[in-house]
Amino acid sequence: MSVFVEVDHVDRIFPMPNGNSYVALRNIELKIRKGEFITLIGHSGCGKSTLLNIVAGLDQPTHGGVILEGRQVKEPGPDRMVVFQNYSLLPWLSVRENISLAVNRVMNKLPQGERRSIVEHHIDMVGLRHAADKRPGQLSGGMKQRVAIARALAIRPKLLLLDEPFGALDALTRGGLQEQLMKICEESHVTCIMVTHDVDEALLLSNRIVMLTNGPEAHIGQIVDVPFPRPRSRMEVVNHPNYYSLRGEIVYFLNQQKRAKQLRAQHATAIARNGLEKVNLELGFIPLTDCAPLVVAKEKGFFQKHGLEEVTLSREPSWKAIAEGVATKRLDAAAMVAGMPLSLTLGMNGKPPTPVITALTLSRNGNAITLSKKLFDQGVRTLADFKAAIAQTPDKVPTLAMVHPSSMHNLMLRYWLAAGGIDPDRDVNLTVIPPPQMVSNLKAGNIDGYCAGEPWNSRAVHEGLGFVIATDLDIWQGHCEKVLGVREDWANQYPQTHLALVKALLEACEYCDDRRNRHEVLDLLCQPEYVGSEAIYTRPGFIDPYDRGDGTAPQMDLHYNQFYVNKTNCPDHVEGLWIMTQMARWGITPFPRNWIEVLDRVRRIDVFGEAARDLGLLDIGRDRHPIYLFDGTIFNPDDPIHYLNDLPIKREVRIEEVSLDTLVGVG
Amino acid sequence: MTARLDVRPKRNHRDLVSMLEKQAKVLYPPAIALLIFLVIWQVLTSLPGATLPTPIQTVEETWELIINPFFDNGGNDKGLFWQVFNSLQRVALGYTLAAIVGIGLGILIGTSTFMFRALDPIFQVLRTVPPLAWLPISLAAFQQANPSAIFVIFITAIWPIIINTAEGVRQIPQDYNNVARVLRLSRTEYFFKILMPATVPYIFTGLKIGIGLSWLAIVAAEMLIGGVGIGFFIWDAWNSSRISDIIIAIIYVGLVGLLLDWLISQIAKLVVPEEQKQG
Repeated sequence: MSVFVEVDHVDRIFPMPNGNSYVALRNIELKIRKGEFITLIGHSGCGKSTLLNIVAGLDQPTHGGVILEGRQVKEPGPDRMVVFQNYSLLPWLSVRENISLAVNRVMNKLPQGERRSIVEHHIDMVGLRHAADKRPGQLSGGMKQRVAIARALAIRPKLLLLDEPFGALDALTRGGLQEQLMKICEESHVTCIMVTHDVDEALLLSNRIVMLTNGPEAHIGQIVDVPFPRPRSRMEVVNHPNYYSLRGEIVYFLNQQKRAKQLRAQHATAIARNGLEKVNLELGFIPLTDCAPLVVAKEKGFFQKHGLEEVTLSREPSWKAIAEGVATKRLDAAAMVAGMPLSLTLGMNGKPPTPVITALTLSRNGNAITLSKKLFDQGVRTLADFKAAIAQTPDKVPTLAMVHPSSMHNLMLRYWLAAGGIDPDRDVNLTVIPPPQMVSNLKAGNIDGYCAGEPWNSRAVHEGLGFVIATDLDIWQGHCEKVLGVREDWANQYPQTHLALVKALLEACEYCDDRRNRHEVLDLLCQPEYVGSEAIYTRPGFIDPYDRGDGTAPQMDLHYNQFYVNKTNCPDHVEGLWIMTQMARWGITPFPRNWIEVLDRVRRIDVFGEAARDLGLLDIGRDRHPIYLFDGTIFNPDDPIHYLNDLPIKREVRIEEVSLDTLVGVG
Repeated sequence: MTARLDVRPKRNHRDLVSMLEKQAKVLYPPAIALLIFLVIWQVLTSLPGATLPTPIQTVEETWELIINPFFDNGGNDKGLFWQVFNSLQRVALGYTLAAIVGIGLGILIGTSTFMFRALDPIFQVLRTVPPLAWLPISLAAFQQANPSAIFVIFITAIWPIIINTAEGVRQIPQDYNNVARVLRLSRTEYFFKILMPATVPYIFTGLKIGIGLSWLAIVAAEMLIGGVGIGFFIWDAWNSSRISDIIIAIIYVGLVGLLLDWLISQIAKLVVPEEQKQG
C-alpha cells in the first residue's frame, strides 16, 4: 500500500507578542496509508489540533509540508473535510440546509436531484430524518455532532479530519456515535485522522495511535499499532488479549509525559543526607520473581541501613520503559536485563548511545522457554521436534516472544534456536512482549511460545496453556540475568550513593538466597504493588520443585533462582563479552573492536569490589574461563571475533571501533 | 359538556381578572410617576413669577393642535401630523442612505484588514463631530435647505452603523470561516450564507442607535433651516412665545422617537435569525 498522506518534517513555530517564538511542533514525520484510521493523542496543548489544522490546510507549517496523493496541501479544501470540535454548524440553517450547503458547493457538477438524494441519504445514515428541518439550536450535542459527521461524509472527502469529535458528549452518546463512525468509515473506506484525549476511543477506532509528547517542541513520541481485526465491536475489542497491554502502553506514555511536565515544573532535587549525595531514589523494576532483591532491600530495610532513606520502587510496564526511564533520568536506577547497559552504551538499533553502567549482577538463571499446548499436542518435546514441526508447516511461521532485544531471553532463545538449526529471524517470527503479557498472548493464540522469567512460565504451565521445553539451566547454567543499571554520568555525579545502593542490594541478594528466607520473600513478592501474582505461580523453582508441564516429574533445582551463591553478583567481563558477541551476531549492536575498553567502562568490577569489601563479603568474580554452552560450543573470551566468524547462523556482523570518549558528554 | 361549558367562562373570567391584576402591576408605577411629575410641574409653574405654563394651561392653550393634527392652512401653518410627517420624510431618506452606505462600508472594513487600517482612523475622527457642525458645510455644498438636512441625518446615523457592522463581520466565529474555507464557498455564497446571517444582529444594533441619533439630529437641523417640520415648528413657537406649543411638540418628538425605535426592533425581530438573537 502506498503512502496516501505524508506529513513531511513539519515544524510549526508561532511568533510571540514579546518577540520570542514558540515552537509548537517539531519535526513531525508521519506517513498514512489509504483507508487507515490514525489517532493523535497527547496532553492538552501538545499541538494535536495544530497538526490537524495543518493537514486540513487551515494552518500553514513553518517548515516542511503535507502531501496528499502527491500534491502539497496549500489551502483548505473539501477533499480534507474537517469535523470540528464544536460542530461548527451554521445556526441559521436547518440540518438539511447545513448538509446541502456543503453538497451543493462541492458536488456542483452533479444534477440537482442527485445532490438532493445524497443529502437525504446522509440524513438517514446518521438517523436524523425526524430532525431534518430543525435548526442546530434545537438539537442536542450528540445530534449536532451527527449532523457534522453527515455533512463531512456527504461530500466524499478523501481524508476525514476529526478534532475531538466526541469530547463534549456524555458517555452513552459518545459510545453510540463511535460505533456509528466506525461503521461509516469502514463502509466508505475513508481515511481518517482523529484527535482525542480518550485512550479507549483511540483503541476502538484506530489502526495506529500516534502519541505526541508535550509541547513546546512536541514531536511523535511513539506510534502504537492497533492490531484488532475489523469489523470491530466494542466488546470484542475490550476482550482482545492485547487490549490491556496496548492500553497500558498508551496510558504509560501519557503518564510519563505528565510526569515529565511535573518534573519540568519542579525539577527533582537531590536530597543529600547521611554522607550520601542523594537519598531520594526512584528505582524501576518489572514484576518478575527476580526483582526480589529490590523488594527485599526496600521491605527489609537494607536501603535504610545504608542511608538511602527515600527509595521508591517504580513498577514499569516493559523493559523498553525501563531503558527510557533511565536514559531520560526519570529513574535513578533500575533492575535491567543483563544486556541492557551494553546495548544502551553501544546504541541499540541505531539509537543514540547512552552510557549506562552496571556494578552488580542481581540474579542468575530463572528463565525458561515455554511453547504452546498446541505444539505439545503435535508431539514437540525437544528442539529437534520443534524444528521438524516448523518444517511440516512451511506456510505458517510460528511466532515466539521475548521481552527485550538485549535481554538474555532474546539472546538465549536465539542461541537455542540457532543451535537446533532454526534461524531465529527466518524460520520463526520473534516479537517483543512485556513479561506480564506473555500468558494472555499465548492464550489468545497470538504467539506460539516465549522465553521469559518467572512466574510467567509456571503460570502458563499451571493454566495448561503451554509447557516448558527448556530452562536456562539446560542452555547455560549460571548465566547472568538481571543487573543493576545506572547512567554513567549519574554514577559519576553520585559515587557514594551508587556505592550505598550496590551495598544495600548486595546484602538483599544474600538475604534472598538464604533458603530459610524464601517463604518470606515469596510473601513480599506476591504483594500487589510488586509482582502481584498468586503464590502458586511463583513457588515452582523459587521454593518448590519446578514443573515443566510436559508430564515429567517436577524437579528440584536449587540454582533456578540464584541471587548470591556461586559468586553471583560480580559483573564479570567474560559474560558481558558473550552478550556483546550475541548482540552483534543478530545485528542488534555493532561489535566493538575495543571490547575490553567497553567492558571496563560498562561492567564496573571496581565498584562491586569496593562494596563487597566494605561489607566483608567476597569481592572477586567467577574465574576467567571459557563458557561452555549446551550445544558443546566453547566461547573463548580471548578471541571473540574468531568466535563470531565461526558461528553458522548469524546476521551481518558489524565490527567497529566504538569511541567512548565522545559518549561522555552525552549524559 | 354543559357542565364544562359552565366551568369554562368562570375560569376565563378568573384568568382575565388575574391578567388585569398582572397588567396593573406593570401599569401602576409609570402612571403614578407620571401623576407625580404633573403635580410637581403644576406646583412649580403655579408659583408667583413662573415663566412656564402649568400643565392645565398647556392643554388649554394647545387644545386646537391636539385635537386637530391634520389641518393644513398652507405655508408653515400645518397640523402637528404634517410637521412630524415632513420631518420623518427627511429622516427616512437620510437614514436609508446611511443604512445602505453604512452597512456596505462596514462589511468592507470588516472583511479587509487593509481597508480597516486605511479607513478606521478617519471614521474615528469624523464620528465624534456633532451633527450640527455638519450643517454649514452641507449648506455650502448643497446650497439648499432640504438636501442639507438630509445630509446631516445621513452623516449622523452612518457611524454607529458602520462601526457595528464592521465589528459584526470581525466577530464571525472562526469556525464558520473555517467551514467556508474548507468547503471553498464562493464569495456570494459566503456573503449570503455566512457573513450576512452572522452579522445581522450587529447591523441592527447599529441601525437602532442610528435611528435615535438621526431623530435627534433632525429636530436640531430643522430649527436652523426652516420650512415645514417639527424642528422648525418648535423654533417658530419660541419666536412667537407659544411656550405651550413647544411643550406639546416636545411630547410629540419624544413619542415619535420611541415609535421609531420600536419599529426598528420589530424589523430586527423579523429579520434576525432565531439562533442569532443576542440576549
